[in-house]
Amino acid sequence: MDDMQRRAFIKGAGIGALAFTVGGVEVMLTPRQAQAQNVPLRTLNPDQAATLDAMGEALVPGAKAAGIVNFVDQQISIPAEDALLEARIMNVRPPFANFYRAALGAIDGASGTKYDGRGFAKLSPAEQHDFIDLMRQNKLDGWKGPGSPFVYFLLRTDAVDVVYGTMEGYAHLGVPYQPHIAPTRSW
Amino acid sequence: MANAANEKVDVVIVGAGASGSVFASVLAKAGKKVVLLESGPDWQLGDLISSDFWGRRVKPAGPPFLLEGKNPYGYVYQSGWGVGGAALHYFANFPRLLENDFKVKSTYGKGLDWPIDYADIAPYFDKVADDVGVSGDAKAEEVWRPAGKPYPMPPMKTFPGGDVWKKGFAAAGMRLLPAAVGINSTEYKGRPACIYDGWCHVGCPIGALSNPLVTYLAEARAAGAEVRAHSTVTRVLTGADGKKVTGVEYYDVKKEKQVQEASVVVLAAWAAQNPRLMLNSATDKHANGLANASGLLGKYMIAHFASNTSALFDEDLQPYMGTIAGQYFSYDRYDKNSYKDKGAFGSTFIVAGAAQRYSALGGVANARLDLFGADLAAFMKRAARGYTRITMFGEEMPALENRVELASDKDEFGMPLGKITHGFNDEAVALFNANFEQGMAIAKATDAKEVWPNKGPMPTIHLMGGTIMGHGANDSVTNSYGQTHEIGNLWIAGPGIFPTSGAPNPTYTIFALSLRGAENLAKNWAAVAG
Repeated sequence: MDDMQRRAFIKGAGIGALAFTVGGVEVMLTPRQAQAQNVPLRTLNPDQAATLDAMGEALVPGAKAAGIVNFVDQQISIPAEDALLEARIMNVRPPFANFYRAALGAIDGASGTKYDGRGFAKLSPAEQHDFIDLMRQNKLDGWKGPGSPFVYFLLRTDAVDVVYGTMEGYAHLGVPYQPHIAPTRSW
Repeated sequence: MANAANEKVDVVIVGAGASGSVFASVLAKAGKKVVLLESGPDWQLGDLISSDFWGRRVKPAGPPFLLEGKNPYGYVYQSGWGVGGAALHYFANFPRLLENDFKVKSTYGKGLDWPIDYADIAPYFDKVADDVGVSGDAKAEEVWRPAGKPYPMPPMKTFPGGDVWKKGFAAAGMRLLPAAVGINSTEYKGRPACIYDGWCHVGCPIGALSNPLVTYLAEARAAGAEVRAHSTVTRVLTGADGKKVTGVEYYDVKKEKQVQEASVVVLAAWAAQNPRLMLNSATDKHANGLANASGLLGKYMIAHFASNTSALFDEDLQPYMGTIAGQYFSYDRYDKNSYKDKGAFGSTFIVAGAAQRYSALGGVANARLDLFGADLAAFMKRAARGYTRITMFGEEMPALENRVELASDKDEFGMPLGKITHGFNDEAVALFNANFEQGMAIAKATDAKEVWPNKGPMPTIHLMGGTIMGHGANDSVTNSYGQTHEIGNLWIAGPGIFPTSGAPNPTYTIFALSLRGAENLAKNWAAVAG
């Protein structure tokens, strides 16, 4: 068996399809497709989604279009043992939705404290940058929730995941993904 | 009372990872009726999708352990969940402990001694190499260790991401040799050669990497061993007089309680889970947990730590090529007093040129955790083809206060969660820092355009100890084979029996010790099981 036969080059598969619910029917979509189709969220409320969307994009450009909100929302809506989140690896105690709710609430709370009641999504790009820089260094006043450097780390990882951890992400970087088994299936 | 469906067997093994698979293979081939109870899924090679997302699926979900202490032990990344255990997704670095690892207390007045020496385990390193397939240059390694058998395969191919470090090591007066890895450089025992795609850490589905599914566990199954997945053991059962174990209590895939009786019980459920089980199995005859006359059950938990140094080159290093194991390794700072002048103590083991992924915990994006937004995007573009790093693993000494205990919270089966308390001492912190200094000196002597230390919170890597081996029930939990001192038919397998850790990745030693223990058990079966 030669190398090319054992590598499965499949373009555009992203992280593979996840199960999303559209119009009461379960369909298999990538987070990018789910974002583009405005698939309804299962767990995050609109404010939480807006904060995650803005934070993801500020952390890693491209995360919004790559579907970070749909990815996280879908993943915190399924059993922890099925989840593909870095939260799993970082010893976060399930249910993971609790962590995300607390983290996003802490972000908006601290943002409101620093910027006259405005949530993170309402900040200018420069304000968002300054906020994140303080957040990663644990220097934000009014932060109430999981440690801000840890929240920075996990949300940044989620954003990196959807932007760079996919076949499309590797292609964007100009490096071959070269999978043995391409991530197109769903468990 | 055993469930009628669960006929008494010769041996029940708790955990189907690296050590459990070895015991299962040896005992099944010796004609014993073997059942392995594994809490996670029965993974198949076809489940091992090449993706850092999907690779998380083969690791635990949801801590059965609470984490405390100055340096909490972050265990999930290097733990297993399901058949193959952590060895389903390990990096397959196959360094071995050296002679100076076995008598640390006697030699340096620190840590503990093993009740055996390098010579006792060396033949098993050679046996394991033949069993699973190791690639490397054993002759070259004789600059650091006694001669042994050649590895069955030549060293792996190298790539620029590893080769560029040679100049820096030479400038530091340090040797860099082809890494010994449990990966096929050529076809071996019907398993194909590696194709250097760098997806080892999420599981190798072609079997080029020696995970248990294609080595010992496959042999065990072929010899008749039965694997029951999604079977979570909660207690080890003992006879009325407390002198023998009689089997285990577990919850099956339907979450119904079962009992599996056996003549011998082997706990191979991981360094922290084994003491959790033994503590939860206390009886009036073993009030402090099974085999705990020494009071050391759950004590002396040991972790490695790593000091990574990064380098960015203008050249195309093809960093995405290779294996997650290193291309090269070095023991040239393995003397435990290498950095005595800096207040450090402990060995260092060095790996250079691991293949890079771009996301997830070990990915390129995390090489500059301070960057985000446009700065991160620019860095990713530069690093995509020019990034490489070295990893310097450090050794900590065993300490009583680093321990596993039962917590008050309980899991879904009513079993108390474990609580791991861990902190590094000052000498370990000094070694962590000294290795960054050394790494930077090496990196600066390469042709890299930019070098930096990946210095953040001190990481915990690998977990060992907790059921340490020793000479008797006064100083340890097991003997050198893993047999508990107090209950002859209760055995412990895996890194939990290490009294000290050395600095290398532990799995080669886990395989070797397990093979030694399993062969001893098979040889003395009548006396043990009778």
